[in-house]
Amino acid sequence: VKVGLEVHQQLAVGKLFCDCPSQLSEEVREVLVRRLRPTGGENLTVDPAVAFEAARGHLFQYEVTDSDCLVEADEEPPHAINPEALRVALTVSALLHARPLDEIVVMRKIVIDGSNTSGFQRTALIAVDGTIEVEGKQYSIPSVCLEEDAARKIGEKEGEVRYRLDRLGIPLVEIATGPEITEGPEARAVAEEIGAVLRATRKVRRGIGTIREDLNVSTPGGTRIEIKGVQELRLIQKYVEQEEIRQKFLLAIRDRVRERSSELPSETGVNLTSLLSAITSGPLRELGSRGHAALGLRLPGFRGLLGGPVREGERLGRELADYARSQGLKGLLHSDELPGYGIEGPLLERVNLALACGPEDGFVLLAAPSLDRGQVALEKVRLRVVAAREGIPAETRDPLPDGRTRYSRPLPGRDRMYPETDVPTIRPALGGPGPEQLPELPRVARERIARTCALNPEVVSQIIRQDALEPFEALVSRGFPAPAVARLLAQDVTEGSVGLPEPVRELRFEELEAVLQGLGRGQFAKEGVPKIIHAMLEHGSSVEAAAARVGLAPLSREELERLTEALLDANAALLQERGERAVSALMGDLMQQVRGRRDGREVAQVLEAGVRRRTAVPPT
Amino acid sequence: MASEEPRASDALRTLEELPAGSEVEIIRASGGTFRGFLVPRTRGEVGATIHLKLASGYNIGLHIAPQDVVRILATPPALGPNRVAPTRPRAGGNGEWVALLTTGGTIASRIDYRTGGVRPVQDEDELLTFYPHLDQGGPVRVIPIFDRLSEEILPGDWLELARRVAQTFQDGARGVVVAHGTDTLAFTAAALSYALPSLPGPVVLVGAQRSPDRPSSDGSSNLGAATELARTGNLGEVVVVMHRGLSDSAFAIHRGTRVRKMHSTRRDAFETRNGAPLGVIDEHGIHLAHEARTRSAGAVRLDDRLDERGALVWFYPGLAPERVEHSLEGVRGVILAGTGLGHVARGHHGWIRRAIDRGVFVGMTTQCLAGIADPYVYTTGRELGALGVTYLQDILPETAYVKLLFALGRSHHGDEVRRFLLEDVVGEFEPRHPVGRSL
Repeated sequence: VKVGLEVHQQLAVGKLFCDCPSQLSEEVREVLVRRLRPTGGENLTVDPAVAFEAARGHLFQYEVTDSDCLVEADEEPPHAINPEALRVALTVSALLHARPLDEIVVMRKIVIDGSNTSGFQRTALIAVDGTIEVEGKQYSIPSVCLEEDAARKIGEKEGEVRYRLDRLGIPLVEIATGPEITEGPEARAVAEEIGAVLRATRKVRRGIGTIREDLNVSTPGGTRIEIKGVQELRLIQKYVEQEEIRQKFLLAIRDRVRERSSELPSETGVNLTSLLSAITSGPLRELGSRGHAALGLRLPGFRGLLGGPVREGERLGRELADYARSQGLKGLLHSDELPGYGIEGPLLERVNLALACGPEDGFVLLAAPSLDRGQVALEKVRLRVVAAREGIPAETRDPLPDGRTRYSRPLPGRDRMYPETDVPTIRPALGGPGPEQLPELPRVARERIARTCALNPEVVSQIIRQDALEPFEALVSRGFPAPAVARLLAQDVTEGSVGLPEPVRELRFEELEAVLQGLGRGQFAKEGVPKIIHAMLEHGSSVEAAAARVGLAPLSREELERLTEALLDANAALLQERGERAVSALMGDLMQQVRGRRDGREVAQVLEAGVRRRTAVPPT
Repeated sequence: MASEEPRASDALRTLEELPAGSEVEIIRASGGTFRGFLVPRTRGEVGATIHLKLASGYNIGLHIAPQDVVRILATPPALGPNRVAPTRPRAGGNGEWVALLTTGGTIASRIDYRTGGVRPVQDEDELLTFYPHLDQGGPVRVIPIFDRLSEEILPGDWLELARRVAQTFQDGARGVVVAHGTDTLAFTAAALSYALPSLPGPVVLVGAQRSPDRPSSDGSSNLGAATELARTGNLGEVVVVMHRGLSDSAFAIHRGTRVRKMHSTRRDAFETRNGAPLGVIDEHGIHLAHEARTRSAGAVRLDDRLDERGALVWFYPGLAPERVEHSLEGVRGVILAGTGLGHVARGHHGWIRRAIDRGVFVGMTTQCLAGIADPYVYTTGRELGALGVTYLQDILPETAYVKLLFALGRSHHGDEVRRFLLEDVVGEFEPRHPVGRSL
């Protein structure tokens, strides 16, 4: 398997081509309704992905918010490119040793799924030929791009898609790696390192959806597939493995069907609308009376290859259904899942007869609100069946939460790019950072800190992942012990944020300092820190108030001793029986009462002393 | 051995001599190899920069250094011709047809990669590649008239256009659509209104605020609405049809003498001033106000008498009277766009008096672009009125200027010119301004 990654990171600077803030909004002011038409690039050739979207003929609704203006509404030309965004892109390029181009040309990438009001996404190639080192291996970075994020999809219903304009125009840095990744865990490590490099600029947005990965996967003998918008890094491995399974599986089907038959499916389907009214049960039951049309297509040599054997959830029938779905239908039925769905016995026989199926032939059935729409969808399905005889079609696929993917649209080509003439070309030499202005590479920072602070490199990696290098170094320089600071930033803050509604506010530097001071003074023990942080974040309280609120008000040495004595009194029999070995039995009970309020080692000392005192053999 | 050094321009000259679309590989002395198709240089590029289109679709700019090496991989242009033939046959000319007269402008423009801007389409076929659904409702005959952006259109062109519109009706068109640049579209609309006093069908001017090479262009839906109105609307006047809001779902019908472009970029830039639009086209059909003139029973009438010796002067603080007087040499009439109710500074009284004494018509409008010009409220107005300045009510300054040229073309008598300007010829005045309609 060869995997290339595309990492898209939103920048925390204003929008790329206007003066709006890069913030999402929940307040909708009005809704615009638009249509988009396909157009060609410089040579008027319409890209296949564009033609595909055009065929869907959707109506688009756009929600206008406070985070957008006439530019996002496609009612005003783009403003000059945001110089801060350009600077971040050039900084990232420099960190990845990529060479900026002499002149940057902003392009229009035609996208008419409605996610851009203009019908195109503005994007520019900033730098080329970079590299990144991850765990001792070099990966190439063929390109660093700067582009606009798309509008946020809010919902979809029959023939209409609703978007919100707040996200449209937020700057994205897109970093592509070469196809040098050979397995899932490696893909994840590379994605994480690229994320760390981006965060080193301290100009990136944080939180769900602010960084997105596309995977380009190809297997030996297979095809390049783009899996678009993988948000969870931990799933990357799963997608890669699943794609490998899918491609092997599809290639096996190709070989089988080629052995069986050389016949291609007919170019037109058979109108089976009259059969619909005969279906008295199952999901197709009422379609006949609602005026739906039904079409069938014989698939020569495909019997048994559409449904099973079910291997890891991949079926050719599912791929075909996805093509029907991409045309707005609910899906389709294929011969390997019948009898069933109310089509059985004589009815199934009628279908087989109408389609003239031989013993090795499969078929697909689909129902659509009109014959026209059914024919358009069936044609997509037919082309997919023809492709199945060749191998694996090049596709853009959507990731599913279970690690599988689903067909989304054809892979776009270069015909969808043409220059954005409303924006002049840019000479980056004038806007880039000098070498002395570059932030430290995460890899370099990791080694330096592990060395100077004597910390486990994995702990330092966690600090970097939390984007907490800056407060870490500042706190250590103020004399707090590095292990305590590391624990606070790498673990406790994350643990303390669990269960809070997004977006979780960040602790201020003074608050972090106060937590470490409380720890140092023994006001509470390290075990109590996550709870205290949780209360601080939830209620905005001070450290002391938070500690009191979660029942971790400081416990004095005297109180600890008193609690210990009371425990020993209550367990006199146990002491009698076990002597000094009673410590291990009683430690748990005592910790339950004082956890987080005194250091665990101190608690053990006090308990041991008490037990020893009571079990000591009295002098004779 | 200076002569063996590569000359500074070698690599660059090679590239400059190649046709656009050639596939080249550039091996740079400073590191890096780029492979792509040469893109025409765009306006404003200087020096040793060339642009390449990479296989990924991205264009990039490279400064070519003397030591760079250029390999030519393929010379036949990989970029196809700038236009293609329409992909399907057009509806025939039988039955009721409407005409689409093209004059240039954004609606009939496309991006020009040589200049980086947009340029007018070259012919009918190219137009149909952008608007394949143009003749969905019935036959449309495309008749190219001019090929220019609207800021280049002159009063003489209005007359040429009016004659072509008249001819088109005589040839049997149900209605006429005029695709026009939006910048001066309102001037042309006013001019056609005066040049075509009787119409057997609608003359619909239409434009686009977004060029048709963009998937989001408003040209397509504007043109669809305009064509529908021209074909089926019971309307016998000159109107402008453009977006009514920012959605692609409703289109306003503006009377040609009352409309103005009020925004440089929005789709709904066009507004009827001093009242509501004449009608609306939406998913329910065409709705026309009762005051809309219906199709005339008789033939089209053309009156193309026009005298270009008129002027429009926008008053502003600091406007030098002597400069105005100098610029008005040889002019037979002038429309002032005065402040507020129609005022100019006293310093201008001198030239105004001398002009009126010479028989020059001086008309007053308001640069507020809404509301009336009225001489009686302030002393300034009364003094100007006393000088002989004619106050022109709520007519737009641009419409007044166009109307003046037609008035001058129709008569050499000051009184007749004045009478024509005060007459409500094609609904250019709105005597009633109800509360709640501020514009």
